[in-house]
Amino acid sequence: MKRLRWLLSAALLVGAGVSQATLAASGPYWQSKDSKDVEAYVKVPMPPGIQVIQTELEGPVFATAEGKTIYTWPLGGLRNGNAGDRRNSGVSSCDDTIYKETTGYMSPYPPGFLLPELDKRRSCEQLWPPVLAPADAKPVGKWTTIKRKNGQMQWAYDGYPVYTSDLDKKPGDVYGGTNALAGGAQGIVRRPIGPPADVPPELDIVPFRTGRMITTYKGFSVYTSDADEPGKSHCTGKCLSDWDPVIAPQTAKPKGDWSVVERSPGIKQWAFRGMPLYTYVHETKGRAMTGSDNPGWHNVYTQRALPPPAEFTVQDSRIGQVLADKDGKTIYIYQCNDDALDQQTCDHPDSPQVYRMAICGNFDPQVCQATFPYVKASPGAKADSSLWTVETIDPNTGKWAKPGDPGAIHVWTYRKRPVYTYGDDLKPGDANGDNYGEFNGQRNGFRAFWLRDDYRNNNLGRAPSDR
Amino acid sequence: MKSNAVRKMSVAGSLLAASVTVALSTASAQPALQEGGGALKDRRIGYVMTHKYWAVYETEGAKTECPQGFNDGPREQFKKLFDDGKKRSIVEAQLKREGEQWHPTTEPESFVFKEAQGNVSYGLNLDGKIGPEDFTSPEGEKGIDNQLYRVIGCIGHYRTMGTINHFENLFMRSYDDTRIVIELTEVDDLKNDDSVVVTTYRGGDGLLQDATGEGFIPGGTQRIDLRWGKEYVSKLKGKIVDGVLITEPADRVMLPWGVTFGTSGYHVFRGFQLKLKLDPEAAEGLMAGFVDVKAFNHHLNTSWSTHHHSYGQLSSPSQYKAMMRLADGYPDPKTGKNTAISSAVKVKFTQVYVKQPEQKELVSKQ
Repeated sequence: MKRLRWLLSAALLVGAGVSQATLAASGPYWQSKDSKDVEAYVKVPMPPGIQVIQTELEGPVFATAEGKTIYTWPLGGLRNGNAGDRRNSGVSSCDDTIYKETTGYMSPYPPGFLLPELDKRRSCEQLWPPVLAPADAKPVGKWTTIKRKNGQMQWAYDGYPVYTSDLDKKPGDVYGGTNALAGGAQGIVRRPIGPPADVPPELDIVPFRTGRMITTYKGFSVYTSDADEPGKSHCTGKCLSDWDPVIAPQTAKPKGDWSVVERSPGIKQWAFRGMPLYTYVHETKGRAMTGSDNPGWHNVYTQRALPPPAEFTVQDSRIGQVLADKDGKTIYIYQCNDDALDQQTCDHPDSPQVYRMAICGNFDPQVCQATFPYVKASPGAKADSSLWTVETIDPNTGKWAKPGDPGAIHVWTYRKRPVYTYGDDLKPGDANGDNYGEFNGQRNGFRAFWLRDDYRNNNLGRAPSDR
Repeated sequence: MKSNAVRKMSVAGSLLAASVTVALSTASAQPALQEGGGALKDRRIGYVMTHKYWAVYETEGAKTECPQGFNDGPREQFKKLFDDGKKRSIVEAQLKREGEQWHPTTEPESFVFKEAQGNVSYGLNLDGKIGPEDFTSPEGEKGIDNQLYRVIGCIGHYRTMGTINHFENLFMRSYDDTRIVIELTEVDDLKNDDSVVVTTYRGGDGLLQDATGEGFIPGGTQRIDLRWGKEYVSKLKGKIVDGVLITEPADRVMLPWGVTFGTSGYHVFRGFQLKLKLDPEAAEGLMAGFVDVKAFNHHLNTSWSTHHHSYGQLSSPSQYKAMMRLADGYPDPKTGKNTAISSAVKVKFTQVYVKQPEQKELVSKQ
């Protein structure tokens, strides 16, 4: 019946001439696979063996000599306690302990309950191998060392011990964590680190799931105009009642992607890759995209992710736009962190599936597959983006399977995590599965894949810096 | 930069302050209202919602409606179930409870649910009948349909000092996506008019709060969101009698009802009605209708976590069972069981000027 209602509503929309199938790849959120745009960074001193590599979503990140992305685990507050590494403490909280019980850090549940799959549970150190330093390592720039419990030396950056992730298999993989905004009440997660972006002090970068967008240091989006030309602004007179030039200080000098346009004697404007930058005066919320609704005006990114699967669509929803499958059904990401002291993620098919199964089906996999079905893919299908891959899943266990295994299905994954639709989304643009799960879907649950949010500062919750 | 001085960004860390400053910056104040209905222009007047409370009739100390006290919440129920010294896994305890919360049933449970007692309640006569389960309003009107009150009347969360009342109003004022606007059109007289049209919208601007932060100033502007908020547009027919707006039941009205960080939920009312005392600067009264029980429960769980439910001893699975038991409208055609429950919300509005969006081509719609 639901399927019938869905088809009927989709047919009505098409019949009414509503563009319910805006193909995602043609939208403004991604850059073409042929684009060479990458984020420039400030070259900082690094220890021998540490390098910087470019990644599709996170921009430049630090990596080991083998190319493994480097992460930190900054201390953060949960409802009833803190977890993570305390800055400049000289101590790593990620050791060889295999935790067996919950901490009770996430209200309202008390501590002391046995964690799932204890026979397979690994230690923090196994999941997050420390980046070891030679015994005689010397501090370099922001890189220092700490001594681990077992006497080994470990590199630290900006006062935090650094790690790699066992989920990353090859250079450029960043599956252990992301800086892309993901919502507030997550657990205490690991974040990839890299050198500072090469951005003037008047500007900043916001990491979205679709790219790294430039804003002013106050958080307002900046835009470029097709009416301008490299090094020259044509926005004068009436145009200035809608668009504020991003003023550069008198001392500003061109550097890399950044240049300065002299609007009139003594009035300088920042330009990025040659194009003058503006804010949209009607925007009252940060990280907004409303200015780009004006023909010829565009948000500005240092780099964007590559397009998702070609058949995916973009749909208008109740606060903005969502990524959707080919039928217009909103895509959902599952987020999960357990309640152990080492805050292991449980959002990945390698991890215990009982968390997700409890939420999506009260432990019944059939109910789960009706409530939050996997997004099926053709075997061998490929997206331009390396973030989207087709994997084989056993839907009854939620674990990886091999092609040909009984009952195995091919599904789309984002950052190696399966994505889902929601059974009670009845027409394109519905996002009724958003916030479904513990702590509004942020702790153990489902969040819609928002692309644009005109109401909540485009932050899908809180930004890392808002903690 | 000319406008940055008045442009503020609301972020979680400065939520309250932001709500005030955004309000002052985005909803431009109009000249003072003229006595006698100066806000009524071109036979139109708009109002924006500033307060909303699920209608709960409360007596002192709750002695009349909750003689047995209030219901237990998640913490209390969890303790009763699992605080016996036995070692359990997270699957047997926390995740079991979460699973039951997200997939509730009408199966009996070991907890006693305390329904609100008595026959007095706020609300409207939604079905036009006077039935044995109906309430009488505090003013003496019979036939009041508000079975939701039976369910929530003895849950601390929903009472005057309850957390939902506090937080729903805090976030409604802080986040523009929850902005509920009504516009009355075809109004000849704000005191008596036998035919007016009421349109519900989502507004896109902050509220004009006064210097105390407690009051709201009429005369602001609300830009209407017809892009993302078109589902929130409904038209109602009504009349004004002695300064009171009464609307005819509308089959389905959807209202934005996002609450905490990162949520953007909504409620859908069937048989929706408004009864509001109007004046040129404000409107106050009730909105009422039948809420679908499953949708109400979905909103509750997706908008508030179990942690938040615990603030006010609200057990979502227990509430669901009670709602299904007391549901009094919209029977399922197959089973005959009622799927919706009568409800009422006490609301206050302040006058605003409604600004319809310019019809222009939006790049993101192409």
